[in-house]
Amino acid sequence: SVTEIRSGFTAIKANIQARDPIRTLSILSHPHSLHKVKLLDRCCITHQLFNFYVDKVFKHCKTEDSFVNRKISSIANSFLIVKRKLGQCQEQNKCLCGQESAEKYKQILANYEGLNVTSAAIKSLGELDILLDWVEKSG
Amino acid sequence: EDALVAAPQNISILSTNMKHFLTWSPVTVQGETVKYSVEFQGEYEREYANESWIPICECSLITATVCNITDDISATVAYNLRVRADVGARRSEWGTLKGFFNRITTSLTPPLMKVIADGYHLLVELEDMGPAFQFCVLYWKKGQESRMQQKVVEEVSSVVHLDTMEAGPDYCVKAQTYVEAINRSSSFSQTQCVRAEGGTSMWL
Repeated sequence: SVTEIRSGFTAIKANIQARDPIRTLSILSHPHSLHKVKLLDRCCITHQLFNFYVDKVFKHCKTEDSFVNRKISSIANSFLIVKRKLGQCQEQNKCLCGQESAEKYKQILANYEGLNVTSAAIKSLGELDILLDWVEKSG
Repeated sequence: EDALVAAPQNISILSTNMKHFLTWSPVTVQGETVKYSVEFQGEYEREYANESWIPICECSLITATVCNITDDISATVAYNLRVRADVGARRSEWGTLKGFFNRITTSLTPPLMKVIADGYHLLVELEDMGPAFQFCVLYWKKGQESRMQQKVVEEVSSVVHLDTMEAGPDYCVKAQTYVEAINRSSSFSQTQCVRAEGGTSMWL
Protein backbone atom coordinates (compact mmCIF):
# COMPACT_ATOMS: atom_id res chain seq x y z
CA SER A 1 0.00 0.00 0.00
CA VAL A 2 2.75 2.55 0.79
CA THR A 3 4.17 1.99 -2.68
CA GLU A 4 0.78 2.65 -4.22
CA ILE A 5 0.30 5.71 -2.02
CA ARG A 6 3.68 7.01 -3.15
CA SER A 7 2.87 6.51 -6.85
CA GLY A 8 -0.53 8.13 -6.43
CA PHE A 9 1.03 11.12 -4.68
CA THR A 10 3.85 11.46 -7.19
CA ALA A 11 1.24 11.84 -9.91
CA ILE A 12 -0.30 14.92 -8.25
CA LYS A 13 2.50 16.29 -6.07
CA ALA A 14 3.39 19.27 -8.27
CA ASN A 15 -0.27 20.17 -8.73
CA ILE A 16 -1.01 20.04 -5.01
CA GLN A 17 2.14 21.85 -3.89
CA ALA A 18 1.42 24.60 -6.44
CA ARG A 19 -1.87 25.21 -4.63
CA ASP A 20 -0.03 25.92 -1.35
CA PRO A 21 1.14 29.55 -1.32
CA ILE A 22 2.44 29.47 2.27
CA ARG A 23 5.99 28.18 1.84
CA THR A 24 7.28 29.37 5.20
CA LEU A 25 5.17 27.03 7.31
CA SER A 26 5.12 23.25 7.71
CA ILE A 27 2.45 21.07 9.26
CA LEU A 28 4.60 17.98 9.83
CA SER A 29 8.07 19.45 10.29
CA HIS A 30 7.51 22.49 12.51
CA PRO A 31 9.33 23.06 14.86
CA HIS A 32 11.07 19.69 14.63
CA SER A 33 11.17 17.19 11.84
CA LEU A 34 9.63 13.78 12.24
CA HIS A 35 13.12 12.35 12.13
CA LYS A 36 13.68 13.41 15.75
CA VAL A 37 10.99 11.01 17.00
CA LYS A 38 12.29 8.18 19.19
CA LEU A 39 12.02 4.62 17.89
CA LEU A 40 9.54 3.61 20.60
CA ASP A 41 7.12 6.33 19.60
CA ARG A 42 7.26 5.83 15.84
CA CYS A 43 4.49 3.31 15.50
CA CYS A 44 2.12 5.45 17.54
CA ILE A 45 2.98 8.63 15.64
CA THR A 46 2.52 6.79 12.34
CA HIS A 47 -0.89 5.55 13.43
CA GLN A 48 -1.92 9.00 14.66
CA LEU A 49 -0.80 10.60 11.39
CA PHE A 50 -2.64 8.08 9.21
CA ASN A 51 -5.76 8.76 11.30
CA PHE A 52 -5.12 12.50 10.93
CA TYR A 53 -5.00 12.31 7.15
CA VAL A 54 -8.08 10.09 6.92
CA ASP A 55 -10.16 11.99 9.47
CA LYS A 56 -9.10 15.56 8.77
CA VAL A 57 -7.12 16.08 5.58
CA PHE A 58 -8.44 14.25 2.51
CA LYS A 59 -12.03 15.41 2.76
CA HIS A 60 -10.94 19.05 2.49
CA CYS A 61 -8.77 18.52 -0.59
CA LYS A 62 -11.45 18.41 -3.27
CA THR A 63 -10.29 20.26 -6.41
CA GLU A 64 -11.78 21.21 -9.75
CA ASP A 65 -9.44 18.73 -11.39
CA SER A 66 -10.99 15.27 -11.93
CA PHE A 67 -7.62 13.56 -12.26
CA VAL A 68 -6.39 15.04 -8.98
CA ASN A 69 -9.62 14.10 -7.20
CA ARG A 70 -9.32 10.51 -8.41
CA LYS A 71 -5.73 10.25 -7.23
CA ILE A 72 -6.70 11.69 -3.83
CA SER A 73 -9.40 9.03 -3.63
CA SER A 74 -6.82 6.38 -4.48
CA ILE A 75 -4.46 7.66 -1.77
CA ALA A 76 -7.25 7.97 0.79
CA ASN A 77 -8.51 4.43 0.19
CA SER A 78 -4.96 3.08 0.42
CA PHE A 79 -4.54 4.99 3.68
CA LEU A 80 -7.48 3.03 5.07
CA ILE A 81 -5.58 -0.22 4.55
CA VAL A 82 -2.48 0.99 6.42
CA LYS A 83 -4.58 2.65 9.12
CA ARG A 84 -6.40 -0.65 9.67
CA LYS A 85 -3.13 -2.59 9.99
CA LEU A 86 -1.76 -0.05 12.47
CA GLY A 87 -5.01 -0.26 14.40
CA GLN A 88 -4.51 -3.99 14.74
CA CYS A 89 -0.99 -3.37 16.07
CA GLN A 90 -2.40 -0.98 18.65
CA GLU A 91 -5.03 -3.50 19.72
CA GLN A 92 -2.22 -6.02 20.27
CA ASN A 93 -0.31 -3.46 22.34
CA LYS A 94 2.49 -3.36 19.81
CA CYS A 95 2.06 0.34 19.09
CA LEU A 96 2.31 2.08 22.43
CA CYS A 97 1.89 5.85 22.73
CA GLY A 98 4.31 7.68 24.98
CA GLN A 99 4.63 11.25 26.10
CA GLU A 100 6.68 12.28 23.11
CA SER A 101 4.20 11.04 20.53
CA ALA A 102 1.39 12.83 22.36
CA GLU A 103 3.32 16.11 22.29
CA LYS A 104 4.42 15.65 18.71
CA TYR A 105 0.89 14.98 17.54
CA LYS A 106 -0.42 17.93 19.57
CA GLN A 107 2.11 20.15 17.75
CA ILE A 108 1.03 18.88 14.35
CA LEU A 109 -2.62 19.56 15.20
CA ALA A 110 -1.70 23.06 16.37
CA ASN A 111 0.13 23.70 13.10
CA TYR A 112 -2.89 22.38 11.20
CA GLU A 113 -5.44 24.41 13.13
CA GLY A 114 -3.32 27.53 12.72
CA LEU A 115 -4.45 27.77 9.11
CA ASN A 116 -7.86 27.83 7.50
CA VAL A 117 -9.04 24.30 6.88
CA THR A 118 -8.59 24.16 3.10
CA SER A 119 -5.09 25.66 3.19
CA ALA A 120 -4.13 23.36 6.03
CA ALA A 121 -5.50 20.30 4.22
CA ILE A 122 -3.78 21.13 0.93
CA LYS A 123 -0.50 21.88 2.75
CA SER A 124 -0.73 18.58 4.64
CA LEU A 125 -1.41 16.70 1.43
CA GLY A 126 1.54 18.45 -0.19
CA GLU A 127 3.76 17.23 2.66
CA LEU A 128 2.78 13.59 2.13
CA ASP A 129 6.24 12.74 0.82
CA ILE A 130 7.71 13.89 4.15
CA LEU A 131 5.46 11.37 5.89
CA LEU A 132 6.15 8.59 3.35
CA ASP A 133 9.92 9.13 3.49
CA TRP A 134 9.81 8.99 7.28
CA VAL A 135 7.55 5.88 7.32
CA GLU A 136 9.81 4.07 4.86
CA LYS A 137 12.93 5.05 6.78
CA SER A 138 11.35 3.96 10.03
CA GLY A 139 10.91 0.55 8.34
CA GLU B 1 -44.25 13.94 -22.62
CA ASP B 2 -40.62 12.75 -22.91
CA ALA B 3 -40.34 9.05 -22.17
CA LEU B 4 -38.06 8.22 -19.26
CA VAL B 5 -34.67 6.73 -20.10
CA ALA B 6 -34.12 3.32 -18.57
CA ALA B 7 -31.20 2.92 -16.22
CA PRO B 8 -28.44 0.62 -17.48
CA GLN B 9 -28.86 -3.04 -16.44
CA ASN B 10 -26.66 -6.11 -16.08
CA ILE B 11 -23.81 -4.07 -14.66
CA SER B 12 -20.85 -6.29 -13.94
CA ILE B 13 -17.09 -6.36 -13.55
CA LEU B 14 -14.59 -8.27 -15.62
CA SER B 15 -11.31 -8.41 -13.68
CA THR B 16 -8.31 -10.39 -14.79
CA ASN B 17 -4.70 -9.93 -13.69
CA MET B 18 -5.47 -6.68 -11.89
CA LYS B 19 -7.11 -5.11 -14.95
CA HIS B 20 -10.68 -4.21 -14.11
CA PHE B 21 -13.50 -3.40 -16.55
CA LEU B 22 -17.06 -2.35 -15.83
CA THR B 23 -19.60 -3.55 -18.41
CA TRP B 24 -23.37 -3.16 -18.82
CA SER B 25 -26.14 -3.91 -21.26
CA PRO B 26 -26.91 -1.21 -23.83
CA VAL B 27 -29.96 0.98 -23.31
CA THR B 28 -31.87 1.25 -26.56
CA VAL B 29 -33.93 4.29 -27.56
CA GLN B 30 -35.29 4.17 -31.09
CA GLY B 31 -33.45 6.49 -33.43
CA GLU B 32 -31.35 8.10 -30.66
CA THR B 33 -27.75 7.94 -29.51
CA VAL B 34 -27.39 6.81 -25.92
CA LYS B 35 -24.39 7.96 -23.92
CA TYR B 36 -23.20 6.60 -20.60
CA SER B 37 -21.33 7.98 -17.60
CA VAL B 38 -19.58 6.02 -14.85
CA GLU B 39 -18.81 6.92 -11.25
CA PHE B 40 -17.06 5.08 -8.43
CA GLN B 41 -17.06 5.23 -4.63
CA GLY B 42 -14.41 3.68 -2.42
CA GLU B 43 -14.66 2.74 1.22
CA TYR B 44 -13.08 6.07 2.10
CA GLU B 45 -15.83 7.99 0.30
CA ARG B 46 -18.52 5.91 2.03
CA GLU B 47 -17.07 6.13 5.52
CA TYR B 48 -15.42 9.59 5.59
CA ALA B 49 -16.65 11.71 2.68
CA ASN B 50 -20.44 11.71 2.93
CA GLU B 51 -20.83 8.75 0.57
CA SER B 52 -19.61 10.93 -2.28
CA TRP B 53 -19.16 9.54 -5.81
CA ILE B 54 -16.29 10.31 -8.15
CA PRO B 55 -16.78 10.56 -11.91
CA ILE B 56 -14.39 8.79 -14.26
CA CYS B 57 -13.87 11.36 -16.95
CA GLU B 58 -12.65 8.84 -19.53
CA CYS B 59 -16.06 7.22 -19.17
CA SER B 60 -18.23 10.33 -19.16
CA LEU B 61 -20.80 10.53 -21.99
CA ILE B 62 -19.36 7.57 -23.86
CA THR B 63 -21.29 5.38 -26.29
CA ALA B 64 -19.39 2.20 -25.43
CA THR B 65 -20.84 -0.15 -22.80
CA VAL B 66 -17.51 -0.87 -21.14
CA CYS B 67 -15.22 1.27 -18.98
CA ASN B 68 -11.65 0.56 -17.89
CA ILE B 69 -11.69 1.32 -14.18
CA THR B 70 -8.25 -0.12 -13.42
CA ASP B 71 -6.61 3.18 -12.47
CA ASP B 72 -9.38 4.05 -10.05
CA ILE B 73 -9.59 0.69 -8.30
CA SER B 74 -6.22 1.33 -6.73
CA ALA B 75 -6.67 0.11 -3.17
CA THR B 76 -7.70 -3.23 -1.74
CA VAL B 77 -11.00 -1.94 -0.37
CA ALA B 78 -14.64 -2.43 -1.38
CA TYR B 79 -15.76 -0.20 -4.24
CA ASN B 80 -19.22 0.75 -5.43
CA LEU B 81 -19.74 1.50 -9.12
CA ARG B 82 -22.64 3.02 -11.02
CA VAL B 83 -23.63 3.96 -14.60
CA ARG B 84 -26.34 6.15 -16.02
CA ALA B 85 -27.57 6.86 -19.54
CA ASP B 86 -28.11 10.16 -21.33
CA VAL B 87 -30.26 10.60 -24.43
CA GLY B 88 -30.18 14.16 -25.60
CA ALA B 89 -31.41 16.21 -22.63
CA ARG B 90 -32.94 13.21 -20.93
CA ARG B 91 -31.09 11.31 -18.24
CA SER B 92 -31.71 7.95 -16.59
CA GLU B 93 -31.47 6.99 -12.98
CA TRP B 94 -28.18 5.42 -11.88
CA GLY B 95 -27.76 1.72 -12.36
CA THR B 96 -25.52 0.44 -9.58
CA LEU B 97 -23.31 -2.65 -9.52
CA LYS B 98 -24.89 -5.29 -7.33
CA GLY B 99 -22.59 -5.71 -4.36
CA PHE B 100 -19.13 -4.27 -3.95
CA PHE B 101 -16.06 -4.93 -6.03
CA ASN B 102 -12.72 -5.56 -4.32
CA ARG B 103 -9.65 -6.14 -6.47
CA ILE B 104 -8.69 -9.01 -4.22
CA THR B 105 -11.14 -11.05 -6.32
CA THR B 106 -9.34 -10.47 -9.60
CA SER B 107 -8.61 -13.70 -11.44
CA LEU B 108 -4.90 -14.40 -11.83
CA THR B 109 -3.78 -16.42 -14.83
CA PRO B 110 -0.48 -18.28 -15.10
CA PRO B 111 2.17 -16.15 -16.82
CA LEU B 112 3.20 -16.66 -20.42
CA MET B 113 6.69 -18.01 -20.31
CA LYS B 114 9.37 -19.08 -22.80
CA VAL B 115 12.25 -21.24 -21.67
CA ILE B 116 15.45 -20.99 -23.69
CA ALA B 117 18.52 -23.17 -23.71
CA ASP B 118 21.27 -20.85 -24.87
CA GLY B 119 24.27 -23.13 -25.04
CA TYR B 120 24.64 -24.30 -21.44
CA HIS B 121 22.59 -21.41 -20.05
CA LEU B 122 19.03 -21.99 -18.85
CA LEU B 123 17.08 -18.80 -19.50
CA VAL B 124 13.42 -17.82 -19.13
CA GLU B 125 11.50 -15.02 -20.77
CA LEU B 126 8.45 -13.83 -18.81
CA GLU B 127 5.45 -11.78 -19.92
CA ASP B 128 5.46 -8.21 -18.62
CA MET B 129 2.20 -7.99 -16.70
CA GLY B 130 2.71 -4.61 -15.07
CA PRO B 131 4.29 -3.22 -11.90
CA ALA B 132 1.94 -5.04 -9.54
CA PHE B 133 3.32 -8.45 -10.60
CA GLN B 134 6.21 -10.53 -9.32
CA PHE B 135 7.06 -14.05 -10.54
CA CYS B 136 8.07 -17.20 -8.77
CA VAL B 137 10.04 -19.42 -11.14
CA LEU B 138 10.75 -23.05 -10.24
CA TYR B 139 13.36 -25.09 -12.14
CA TRP B 140 14.81 -28.52 -11.74
CA LYS B 141 16.64 -31.31 -13.46
CA LYS B 142 14.08 -33.72 -14.88
CA GLY B 143 13.65 -36.64 -12.52
CA GLN B 144 15.04 -34.65 -9.59
CA GLU B 145 11.85 -32.84 -8.61
CA SER B 146 12.90 -33.04 -4.97
CA ARG B 147 15.80 -30.71 -5.71
CA MET B 148 13.63 -28.00 -7.22
CA GLN B 149 15.10 -24.51 -7.11
CA GLN B 150 13.22 -21.23 -6.92
CA LYS B 151 13.89 -17.76 -8.24
CA VAL B 152 11.72 -14.72 -7.46
CA VAL B 153 11.63 -12.21 -10.27
CA GLU B 154 10.39 -8.82 -9.05
CA GLU B 155 10.73 -6.87 -12.27
CA VAL B 156 10.41 -8.23 -15.73
CA SER B 157 12.96 -6.40 -17.79
CA SER B 158 14.54 -8.96 -20.02
CA VAL B 159 15.49 -12.61 -20.14
CA VAL B 160 16.22 -14.11 -16.72
CA HIS B 161 19.20 -16.40 -16.24
CA LEU B 162 18.25 -19.38 -14.10
CA ASP B 163 21.14 -21.80 -14.18
CA THR B 164 24.10 -23.21 -16.00
CA MET B 165 23.17 -26.62 -17.32
CA GLU B 166 25.13 -29.80 -17.69
CA ALA B 167 25.10 -31.45 -21.09
CA GLY B 168 22.63 -34.34 -21.33
CA PRO B 169 19.78 -34.07 -18.79
CA ASP B 170 16.59 -32.15 -19.43
CA TYR B 171 15.93 -29.06 -17.38
CA CYS B 172 12.33 -28.14 -16.58
CA VAL B 173 10.78 -24.82 -15.61
CA LYS B 174 7.40 -23.54 -14.47
CA ALA B 175 6.29 -20.14 -13.14
CA GLN B 176 3.47 -18.42 -11.28
CA THR B 177 2.68 -14.76 -10.66
CA TYR B 178 2.43 -13.10 -7.23
CA VAL B 179 0.61 -9.83 -6.54
CA GLU B 180 1.77 -8.28 -3.27
CA ALA B 181 -1.06 -5.71 -3.16
CA ILE B 182 -3.62 -8.48 -2.74
CA ASN B 183 -1.24 -11.15 -1.41
CA ARG B 184 -2.32 -13.75 -3.94
CA SER B 185 -0.61 -15.99 -6.52
CA SER B 186 -1.73 -17.48 -9.82
CA SER B 187 -1.57 -21.17 -10.53
CA PHE B 188 1.59 -22.45 -12.18
CA SER B 189 2.17 -22.30 -15.90
CA GLN B 190 2.66 -25.43 -17.96
CA THR B 191 6.10 -26.97 -17.40
CA GLN B 192 8.58 -26.46 -20.22
CA CYS B 193 11.75 -28.55 -20.53
CA VAL B 194 14.88 -27.93 -22.55
CA ARG B 195 18.25 -29.53 -22.85
CA ALA B 196 21.69 -28.07 -23.39
CA GLU B 197 23.68 -29.49 -26.25
CA GLY B 198 26.82 -27.79 -27.30
CA GLY B 199 26.22 -24.25 -28.38
CA THR B 200 22.85 -24.67 -30.12
CA SER B 201 19.48 -23.84 -28.61
CA MET B 202 17.35 -26.89 -28.22
CA TRP B 203 13.60 -27.15 -27.59
CA LEU B 204 11.79 -30.20 -26.37
